[in-house]
Amino acid sequence: MRGRRRPALRAVMDISSLRTAVVEGDRVEATAATRAGLSAGIPARRLLEEALIPAMATVGDLFRRREYYVPEMLMAARAMKACMEVLRPELVAAKVEPLARVVGATVQGDLHDIGKNLVLMMLEGAGFEIVDVGVDCPPDRIVAAVKEHNARLVCLSALLTTTMPAMRDTIVALEAAGLRQRVGVLVGGAPLNQAYADEIGADGYAPDAASAVDKAKEVLARLAGD
Amino acid sequence: MDEPVTPAIEPRSTPLTPRERWLRTLRFQSVDHVPDEEFGYWTETLQVWRDQGIPEGVNSDAAADRFFGFARRQRVPVRMGIHPAFQRQVLEETDRHRIVVDGTGVTLMENKDGSSTIPQFLRFPIDTRQDWIEFRRRLDPADVARYPARWEQQLPAWRQRDFPLGIAVGSLFGWIRDWMGFERATTACIEEPALIEDMMEHITELTLHVLQRALRDLQLDFADFWEDMCFNSGPMISPRLFRRFMVPRYQKITSLLRSHGVDIIYVDCDGDITELVPLWLEAGVNCMFPLEIRAGSRPEQFRATYGRDVLLMGGVDKTALIQGKPAVDRELARIVPLVEQGGYIPHLDHRCPPDVTLDTYLYYLRRKRELLGIPQPEAPATALVREASR
Repeated sequence: MRGRRRPALRAVMDISSLRTAVVEGDRVEATAATRAGLSAGIPARRLLEEALIPAMATVGDLFRRREYYVPEMLMAARAMKACMEVLRPELVAAKVEPLARVVGATVQGDLHDIGKNLVLMMLEGAGFEIVDVGVDCPPDRIVAAVKEHNARLVCLSALLTTTMPAMRDTIVALEAAGLRQRVGVLVGGAPLNQAYADEIGADGYAPDAASAVDKAKEVLARLAGD
Repeated sequence: MDEPVTPAIEPRSTPLTPRERWLRTLRFQSVDHVPDEEFGYWTETLQVWRDQGIPEGVNSDAAADRFFGFARRQRVPVRMGIHPAFQRQVLEETDRHRIVVDGTGVTLMENKDGSSTIPQFLRFPIDTRQDWIEFRRRLDPADVARYPARWEQQLPAWRQRDFPLGIAVGSLFGWIRDWMGFERATTACIEEPALIEDMMEHITELTLHVLQRALRDLQLDFADFWEDMCFNSGPMISPRLFRRFMVPRYQKITSLLRSHGVDIIYVDCDGDITELVPLWLEAGVNCMFPLEIRAGSRPEQFRATYGRDVLLMGGVDKTALIQGKPAVDRELARIVPLVEQGGYIPHLDHRCPPDVTLDTYLYYLRRKRELLGIPQPEAPATALVREASR
């Protein structure tokens, strides 16, 4: 049997090598392992749930433990994204649903997008479907995106004390549109803290991209329980 | 909130010059009072304050410094960065935004009404090694325009000065981040380390070369780097990468500065700098600025950890001024014990934002000066400051 592995063992090895490649941010190796996994008959859902999502969870843990910093996290997220390009047609065909749809935006008046992009990359890596509505987003554009995509979570970013009030305006607009009961709101950005998130009625505050994933899951679990 | 106070630092009988005061403060020597400095303002802040009582001409940091009477501190006008700059071009305009190529060759989207925001960056001048080779022509150490034509004529006045005079020594990471973009620059540290090494080495050689003349002609008081390489959650690259790429190159620059008696070398870095402070100290950069409190860069924590090895500037939470006067009092009470230890010049931890009212700002200045024994200066704003919220 030299040179031939049993299918179950090969599947385990493909999943394990895919997970490692994503954690190490090796895009080429990760997409090759994804293709190899599909060729070996491993279902796309299994590659997503047993390799990609756990890999990004590991990346989040490494970031929290200060073993990874933003560049390592970015490289892993890019590897994950490349794998998703390969898997997406299979996932669609198999009717695999994302954890939830998330609308991400930098609020009105603010043009900065690095923080937003990092958070959305990490959420995508955790199995969320992302609708990025961009920068300088007025509340009505965010409300429209939530309705159009049936989003369960809104992530808002602000970098300036002067644009933070636009987060409150967005929450008010979601309430006015009758969406607030079914959509969670997560906020983040340099001038923010938990106290401000509480003050404006947000459901959560995330100080960095890795903790945004945990917060997003927490908020959704709370909404599901309500 | 408004009772009389005893100054935290007893005035000395002999007045010091502003230069002596600045140097003595940062060398932990006795002073009559700490230097009266502030960081600056958003453009909109001064616009908003015009409706609240400041005169029309106070429309820049320099004009505001004169208006409020802050202590003078200057840098020599040496061009350390790119020269010539790129031609600014407007590529596209919408109702709210303008897409431009700025002086560093970056294509970005900015607000058309001039309101402050960090822009959305769209394209960067350096992506490949070939781009860098082209770009490097603007970083020519031998470029004669790096020093002003009237340098020699200005030297006698600078040598007679009574205020601190320093030199901006640029940036190892911050510039590269600006020229390549955040994502490309940070991941290139791992994926293309040779390119990053090459860029940082060139900047180091440029800096060492350009510094020579200023250090030969003048006894400078300080030098400052600009990096802005930290988020609220910590540095943009790991301490491991920082040590590999940056520490040895900083050491070359700081050794040259120290060999010419420049022993106050600060770095301007927003965000949470906690993990990088020991590496900057190891690299010979001994003063941290502006110590953003909300991000977690707390001056009292750095003093407790590093003692007199670290010098500090800033560290007064600007958001306390947004909250109002009781928060201002609490914030000033927090920093007084640290001021008493020396080696620390307190001021707001970044530019004053427009959601601080002029009245609260004047109150902050009055209370800070009273608490720290800083005399009210002869300045146009002094009457306003004295009357603030009495």
